[in-house]
Amino acid sequence: MPRFFSNKRLILLLVGVIVLVALIAFSLKDRQNANLPEKMVKDVVGFGQSLFSKPAHSITGFFDDIDGILNTYEENKTLKARLTEYASTEVELADIKEENDRLRKIIDKKDDLRAYDPVQATVISRNPDQWEEKIIVDKGKSDGVKLNMAVLTANGLVGKVVLVTKYTSTVELLSTENQNFRVSAMIPGKKDIFGLMEGYDPERGELIMKRIDSSFEVKVGQKVMSSGLGGIFPKGLLIGEVTEVSTDDYGLTKLAYVRPAAEFSMLDHVMIAKRQSATEKGTDDPGTSATEGEDGS
Amino acid sequence: MTRFIIPLIAVVLFFLEPVFSLFSPIELGDVRYTLVPRFVIVYLVFIASYYDLRKAVLYGLCFGLLYDMYHIDIIGIYTFLYPLICFLAFVIIRQVHRSTGTVMLLSLFMVVLLEMMSYLFASLIALTSISFEVFMTARLVPTVIANLIFIILFGWLFKNLIYKRVVEKQAGM
Repeated sequence: MPRFFSNKRLILLLVGVIVLVALIAFSLKDRQNANLPEKMVKDVVGFGQSLFSKPAHSITGFFDDIDGILNTYEENKTLKARLTEYASTEVELADIKEENDRLRKIIDKKDDLRAYDPVQATVISRNPDQWEEKIIVDKGKSDGVKLNMAVLTANGLVGKVVLVTKYTSTVELLSTENQNFRVSAMIPGKKDIFGLMEGYDPERGELIMKRIDSSFEVKVGQKVMSSGLGGIFPKGLLIGEVTEVSTDDYGLTKLAYVRPAAEFSMLDHVMIAKRQSATEKGTDDPGTSATEGEDGS
Repeated sequence: MTRFIIPLIAVVLFFLEPVFSLFSPIELGDVRYTLVPRFVIVYLVFIASYYDLRKAVLYGLCFGLLYDMYHIDIIGIYTFLYPLICFLAFVIIRQVHRSTGTVMLLSLFMVVLLEMMSYLFASLIALTSISFEVFMTARLVPTVIANLIFIILFGWLFKNLIYKRVVEKQAGM
């Protein structure tokens, strides 16, 4: 039996381990910004990746289409039933929008937290070792994407941008276990309830909304949306629906479990929301500290 | 000709991994099963056992580094694990009879080993908080099944290709 741990190999292994630890420590320190070689690798690999992902999307899209055709009859029936309802809501919505615009003009308020410019992006890859819930999309700095912008699908908010290079950006999904991932959220009602989306329960598959003032009454089934008070996200992006309300570890504030509105698997096309009104460093940005104790309410 | 095909396949597999992981968290019943495609390491194990350890380690270093830079943003994890796995595969295959079956089994075992080590790293730097039991049932077992299918489908192809290259090289010398 040959000796496979000769002195030379042992030294090589030890040096390898030391370099590894040093590299990990170095790159863990600042994960929000990529240095130049990292950016170049990301752009080049990202380009190659999109060559593979886009055909894959069209193949899955084809199967989705077949699936859609098979369900056409059923869907058509339910859609017809809802059509009349839709027409009246649309009229109502247009009326309310117009009134809103008029009222805004009266009080001379131009900024709207709700308004955003969407950047359409295609998902080119998902982190293959799925320890972190991250996807990479094919739009980057050259398309005006900036750090911490909100990312959404037609169903609702899915995550935010955590790293930008020239032609790609990395998006961390809401279903992450990362402690520093916060989104300032609100539950609209007669009196708006504010809190922070903070954390994810992997066993329940639900998001956790924390730091809700205990004087507010949260009901199961209420909708949760982004509040726009975090500084970067626009207001009114749907996050999910409350499924359970309890108190937090210290009993001072409430927390709510929220079933996310968007699906986090099989993502193919997403929108990155560029807010129109001025952005500010706030709770949406994990780089800022001292968010303890302020819950926006 | 085969000379270029061997690295080309590695590149293709590297790009296919994230495409397949787009399908990943699969929800069956109430449990989310995570499938992790580990195509590159399977291929590298085949290279290490049939062709050349040095080539395998070199590819391991390159693709590990790319993987770390592009996907993980922490440099050093896969840059270290890929060559290590190649080396271990080489050491083990020298001790046992080298047939397609054993190499397939070995590559599957190496996938398990890689998955375990990546779990160790992930829990060490607090990327995950899942317990070992959950990791076993919701992640390791589905991953092994998915990669087993891949190995059964493509193991023969890899072996034949690499053999062709070895023969070609011997003829050239």
